[in-house]
Amino acid sequence: MSKSFGDVWIFGDYRDYFQNRITLQLIAKGKDLAEMLNTGTTVVLLGEQVHQYAMEYVAHGANTVMVAEHPKLKEYEVETYTTLLSQWVKSYRPEIFIAGATSFGREFFPRLAKRLRTGLSADCVDLEVDPKSLLLVQTTPAFGGELLAEVVTPDRRPQMATVHPGVFRELPHNSEAVGRIIYPDVDVFPEPRVKVIRSRPPIKGKVSLEDASVVIAGGMGLRSKEQFELLYELAELLEGEVGATRPAILSGWADEERLLGQTGKSVKAKLVISIGTSGALQFTTGIQGAETVIAINRDPDAPVFRIVDLGLVADAAAVLPILIETLRRRL
Amino acid sequence: MIKYRESKISAHHNYLVNDMLTPGFVVGEPDKQGGFYFLADKVLAGESMPRISCRLLEEGSGNLLVELNWNRIQSNPKACIHQSIPGGFQILLSSGNVLLEVQTQAFANGYLTRIKARLYDEKGFLRIEPLGDSIKVHDAEKPVLDSPFSFSP
Ligand SMILES: Cc1cc2nc3c(=O)[nH]c(=O)nc-3n(C[C@H](O)[C@H](O)[C@H](O)COP(=O)(O)OP(=O)(O)OC[C@H]3O[C@@H](n4cnc5c(N)ncnc54)[C@H](O)[C@@H]3O)c2cc1C
Repeated sequence: MSKSFGDVWIFGDYRDYFQNRITLQLIAKGKDLAEMLNTGTTVVLLGEQVHQYAMEYVAHGANTVMVAEHPKLKEYEVETYTTLLSQWVKSYRPEIFIAGATSFGREFFPRLAKRLRTGLSADCVDLEVDPKSLLLVQTTPAFGGELLAEVVTPDRRPQMATVHPGVFRELPHNSEAVGRIIYPDVDVFPEPRVKVIRSRPPIKGKVSLEDASVVIAGGMGLRSKEQFELLYELAELLEGEVGATRPAILSGWADEERLLGQTGKSVKAKLVISIGTSGALQFTTGIQGAETVIAINRDPDAPVFRIVDLGLVADAAAVLPILIETLRRRL
Repeated sequence: MIKYRESKISAHHNYLVNDMLTPGFVVGEPDKQGGFYFLADKVLAGESMPRISCRLLEEGSGNLLVELNWNRIQSNPKACIHQSIPGGFQILLSSGNVLLEVQTQAFANGYLTRIKARLYDEKGFLRIEPLGDSIKVHDAEKPVLDSPFSFSP
C-alpha cells in the first residue's frame, strides 16, 4: 500500500497583498509539490476580515483555505501566531509547510519549527519533491551564498522552508474556482508578552521595481556613477526602472531601494537587461523571475551568461551610448 | 483533532452565513407550493449581483408576505417595499420595518454578500436570524450550493 501524505501547507501572508505576491507564488509551487505526493494544498490564514484573501487564494489554485478569524488576530503577533499554528500542525499533520521569507515568515517560522522540533531551511530559492524518496529538497544559498545547498528533512514533520519572494511564478486568477474552507475552533489565545501599541507602514520611495515590466540592472562593470546614470536614460526610453547590484549601491551609484537580489528586491519583469554584473547567485535570485534576461559583460566567461536568454560580450562603456542613441532614433 | 466547521468557497462570490463563506445555500423547499424558502443562489463568474429568491411568511399566521425572484418582487400581497441601498437592497414591511437586507461588498477581484433578516417558516420555526453582521441559518436544506440551484420544472 502506498504511503498517504498530509497536505502541503502555505502560510497566507496577505499584508500589502497587491504588492506582496509571495503567497500566490507559493500556492503555485505548493501545487506541484502536492501533485508529486498525491495530496492537496492548504493555505492557512489568520486575521480579521480576511474573506477576500481566502477567495484570492482559491482563485490562484489553493484546494483548501484554513481560516482563523478573530479580532485578536488583527495585528500580527509572533507568540499568538506560533502557538495557534503549532496547535494546528499537531492536529492536522501537514507533510510540508512553507512561508515567504518576508519579515513575517522570517520572524515566526523559525520559532514555529523549533516549537514543532522540526527542521527549517531559510530563504530557499527552489523546492522540489525527490521522485524516489518523496522528500522535499530545499535549495538554499549557504556559506554566504558561495554554494547552493540541497537540504532534506528525512525524519521530522512537517518539512519546513521559507522561500525568497519572486522565485516562483503565480498561477493566473481563475474566478470559476471553488475550494474548501475550514474554520478550526479557536478560542484559546496565549497572553502575549509583547503589546503592539501602534503599527505604521514604512515610508516608501517611488521606485516600483517589483511591478516594472522592464528593468535595467547595473553592476560594477559600469565603473563610475556617471556611466551608471546612463541606465536611467535607457530605462526611460524603454519605460522601465533601474536596479543595481549590492556593490553598485555600496559605491553610492544608486539608492538602497534599487537593490536587486537575495537581500533586495525580486522582479518579475518581461525584460531585464543586466549590464556589467558578474551574475553572482545572490544577485541573480532577484532577476530569475523575469521572462527574458539579456546581459552585457566584457568577460565571455562571466557567470551571468549562464542564466541569460541573450548575451552580448562587449564593453558597456562603448555599447550603452550606441544603444541609447539607436533606441532614441527608433522610438 | 481540533474541531472545525467546514464549507465551500467560490473564488468569485460568496455569502456570509453562520460566520462562514459559502457560494450559495437553500433554507426551506423552493419547490413546495406556498411554503417558506430562502435561496441564495450561486453567482456565476462575470456577474456582480447576488441571486436571492425567497418566499417570506408572516410570523405566527404563516401568511405570505412577499415573494422574490432573483432580487425582484414577484408576488406582494402585503404591500412590502423594495428599496435600493448602497451595494444592495432592502425589503420593508408596510409598517416600515426592515424584513430583509442584502448588501454586497466588492473586493478587487470578487464579491461578498451579507444578509440580515429574521425569518420564520410556515410552522412558526425560526429559520434565519441575525448573527453579527450577517445571519445564522437553522436546518438549511442545502447549506452549500456550489452550482446554481435548479427548480423542478
Ligand atoms: C550573504 C550575501 C548576500 C548578498 N546579497 C546580495 C544581493 O542581494 N544583491 C547583490 O547584487 N549582491 C549581493 N551580494 C554580493 C554578491 O555576492 C556579488 O558580490 C555582487 O552581486 C557582485 O556585484 P557586481 O556584479 O556588480 O560586481 P562584480 O562581481 O565585481 O562584477 C562586475 C562585472 O562587470 C564586468 N565588467 C567589468 N568591466 C566591464 C565593462 N567595461 N563592460 C562590461 N562588463 C564589465 C566584469 O567582467 C564582471 O563580471 C551578497 C553577498 C553575500 C555574501
